[in-house]
Amino acid sequence: MGLMELAWIIPASSFFAFVGIITFGRRIPFVSPMLSIGAIAIGCILVFVVLVGRIKVDPTGIDVFSRKWFEVGGTELMLGMIVDPLSIVMVALVCFVALMVQVYSLSYMKHDPKLAWYYAIHALFATSMLVVVLADNFLLFYVAWELVGLCSYLLIGFWWEKREPVEAAKKAFITTRIADVALLVGILLLFREVGSFSMKETFYQAQLLAAGEVSALSSGTTTVSALLLFIGAMGKSAQIPFHVWLPDAMAGPTPVSALIHAATMVVAGVYLVARTFVVFEAVPDVLLVVSIVGLVTSLLASTMALVNTDLKRILAYSTISHLGLMMLSLGAFGYTAAIFHLVAHGFSKALLFLGAGSVSHASNQTDIRKMGGLIKVMPITAITFGIGALSLGGIPIFAGFWSKDEILISVFNHRNFLFLIGTLFVGFLSALYMARAFYLAFLGDLKNENKAVSESPMLMTGPLIFLAIPSLLFGFSVFGSAEGYGGIGRFIFFENAENFHFNLALGSISVILAVAAFGISKPMYITKTLNFDKIKRYFNGLINVCERGYYFDQVYEWCITRIVLVSSGFIAWLDRAVINDIGVNGPASSVAWTASKLRLHVTGKVYNYALVMVLGSMIIGSVWWIMVSG
Amino acid sequence: MITLVHFQIVSAALFSIGLYGVMARRSAILILMSIELMLNAVNINLVAVASFLDPDRFAGIIIAIFVITVAAAEIGLALAIVLRMFRNRATINVDHMDLMKW
Repeated sequence: MGLMELAWIIPASSFFAFVGIITFGRRIPFVSPMLSIGAIAIGCILVFVVLVGRIKVDPTGIDVFSRKWFEVGGTELMLGMIVDPLSIVMVALVCFVALMVQVYSLSYMKHDPKLAWYYAIHALFATSMLVVVLADNFLLFYVAWELVGLCSYLLIGFWWEKREPVEAAKKAFITTRIADVALLVGILLLFREVGSFSMKETFYQAQLLAAGEVSALSSGTTTVSALLLFIGAMGKSAQIPFHVWLPDAMAGPTPVSALIHAATMVVAGVYLVARTFVVFEAVPDVLLVVSIVGLVTSLLASTMALVNTDLKRILAYSTISHLGLMMLSLGAFGYTAAIFHLVAHGFSKALLFLGAGSVSHASNQTDIRKMGGLIKVMPITAITFGIGALSLGGIPIFAGFWSKDEILISVFNHRNFLFLIGTLFVGFLSALYMARAFYLAFLGDLKNENKAVSESPMLMTGPLIFLAIPSLLFGFSVFGSAEGYGGIGRFIFFENAENFHFNLALGSISVILAVAAFGISKPMYITKTLNFDKIKRYFNGLINVCERGYYFDQVYEWCITRIVLVSSGFIAWLDRAVINDIGVNGPASSVAWTASKLRLHVTGKVYNYALVMVLGSMIIGSVWWIMVSG
Repeated sequence: MITLVHFQIVSAALFSIGLYGVMARRSAILILMSIELMLNAVNINLVAVASFLDPDRFAGIIIAIFVITVAAAEIGLALAIVLRMFRNRATINVDHMDLMKW
C-alpha cells in the first residue's frame, strides 16, 4: 500500500462525474461542468501524488496493482493498473489537456443546449483514456480502448442535427473499428499462447523469446500478433491507410478536436505500441514495418497539410504527420524520443486547436485565406498560437525542437539514410505548413470583414496561456538537474537509461531547415515577393493530388460501392435465395404443397367415406383370405 | 335339412342389402336403418356359426348380445345427431353434411 495505489482514483473520479452528470445534469445545468472539471482536477492533483509515490519506491520501476475481476473456466481475469513512468507521464498529459479543454469549453460551448451531455461524454472520455493508459491486462485495455472509440464517436457527432458531423462520426467509428478487429485478434493470439491477459506475464514471455530462451510465445505468433496490434494502433493513431477519419473529425466542436488530437484517442495507438514495445522488440522485423508506415504517413500527411486552406484541417493533417513521426521513432527503437514527442506534441497541438477554436469562435470561419492580420485584434490567441506553431515546427528552445531532435538521432542510429532524409524533409514541411498557417491567419493585412473581431474571453485565453507554457518550456526536461533528476531519458526509457544526446550535424541541419521554412514563408505567403508560381505550374498535377488527399477517400468510396456493396449484395441475394428460400422455406413449402394436393380427398361427403371404408375392408379381407388359403 | 350354409346365405344377403342401403340412400334415417340391417346380418352369422360349430359354449351368442347392445346405443346417439341436424339445417340429406372437409 502506497501512494501509487491511489492511481485508481484518477479514472474513477471522472467516471463518478460521468454518472453524476447523467443522473443530475439535466435538472441542474451548471452541475455538469462543475463535476467534470472537478473530477479531472482531482486527477491532475493525484498524478503528482502518484509520481511522488513512484519516485519514493523506485523512479523507473514497474508496479502492478490488481484484483480478481472474474473467473471464466480456469482463467482468472484481473482488474488492475500498471504504474510506471510511461503511464504516469501519459496520465499527466491526459489530465492536464482534458482539464484545459474542459475549462475552455465552458466558454466555447456556453450557449449549447446539450451542455450536460457534452460534459458527460467528456468525463467518460477522460475515464476511458485513463483506463487505457493504466490498464494492466489486455482485456481491460481493449474494453477501455473501445470506449475511447465510442466517446470520440459521440463527441465528433455531437451536433447530430447536422449531416456532416454524423457522417464524420460514423466514418471515425467504422474506420477505427476495422482496425480494432485486428487488435482483438492480436490480443487473443497472445492470450492463446501465454494463457493470461496479463501484460506483465506477456511481456515476460516476450522477453524470454527475445533472449532466445524457452518461452510460451512462438516467434511466428509473436510476429503476427505484433503486426495485428500495430494495425489496431494504426487505426486509432490515424496512420495511412486508416488516416481518412481524422481530417473529417473536424466536424465536431473544436475543443473536442483538441482533446482527440492531443491527449486522447489518437495517442492511444502510439501508447499501445510503446506499452507493448517488449513484444515488438522480440520481433524486430515488425519494427521496420512500424517505421516504414510511420515515415510514409508523415510524408503524405505533411504534403496534404501544406496545400490545405482550412485551418483545422491543416492541424489535423499535421497531427497525422506527427503521429507518423512518433511511430517512425518507435520503429527506430526511439522509445524515449517517441513518448517525449508525444507529450511535446500533445501540449502544442492542444494549444493550436484551442487557438484555432478561439479564432473560429470570434470570426466564424476556418478558411485561412479569409483571415489575415488577426494578431491586431486577438493578440493573446495569436501569440499563443505562434508559440504552438514554433514548437511544432521545431524551432530551438520550443518543446517540439528537442523531441524532433531525439527522433532524428534514433532514426540516424537505427535506420538507413533514406529514413533520415525523409524525417528531415517531414521536419522541414511541418515547419513550412505551420508557418504558412500562422502567417496567413495572423499576419498581413487585417481584412475589412474581420475588423469587428475581438479577443476571446478569459476562460478561453486562460487555457491557451496555460498550454503555451509547457509548449515553450517542456523541452528543457531533457536536461537533468542536480537533485537526482537525470532528464527525461532517465525517467522514461526502455531497458537502458538514456542521456540527452545531441548530434551537432543533425541538430544544425534540422534547425537550419526549420528556420529556413519559417524564413521563406513570409515572402511566399505574405508579401508575395518570393513567387513560385512558375515552378508550381509544372507541379499542378501533384499539388492537385495533395489537395485531394491522395484520393484515399475516392479509392475507399470506389472500393466500398464497387466491391463491398456488390459482394455484400451478392451475399444478401445468396442468403435470401438459397439459405432462406431453398434451405429454410423449401422443406416447409414443399410440405405445404403436398398437403394442399392431398387434402383434396377430404370431400366431407358421407358416402365417399363409406365407400372407401367398404373398399378398404374388402381389400383387407381378400388379402387375409389369400394369405390364409395360400 | 338346413345347414350352416343356408344361414350364411341369408346373412350375406341381408348384409348386402344393408350395404347397398348405406351406399345408395341419401336420407340419414334410411342409412341408419341399413346399418341396423348389416349388424343383424352379422348377428345371424355369429349365432349360426356358434351353434353349429361349438354348441357347448355360448361365446358367439354372447358376442351377438353385445352387438345388439352396441347397436342400440349407436342408434340412440345417431338419432340424436340426426335430430340436431334437422333442427339446424331443416334436412336430413347426408349430401348436405359436408362441412368437415378442406
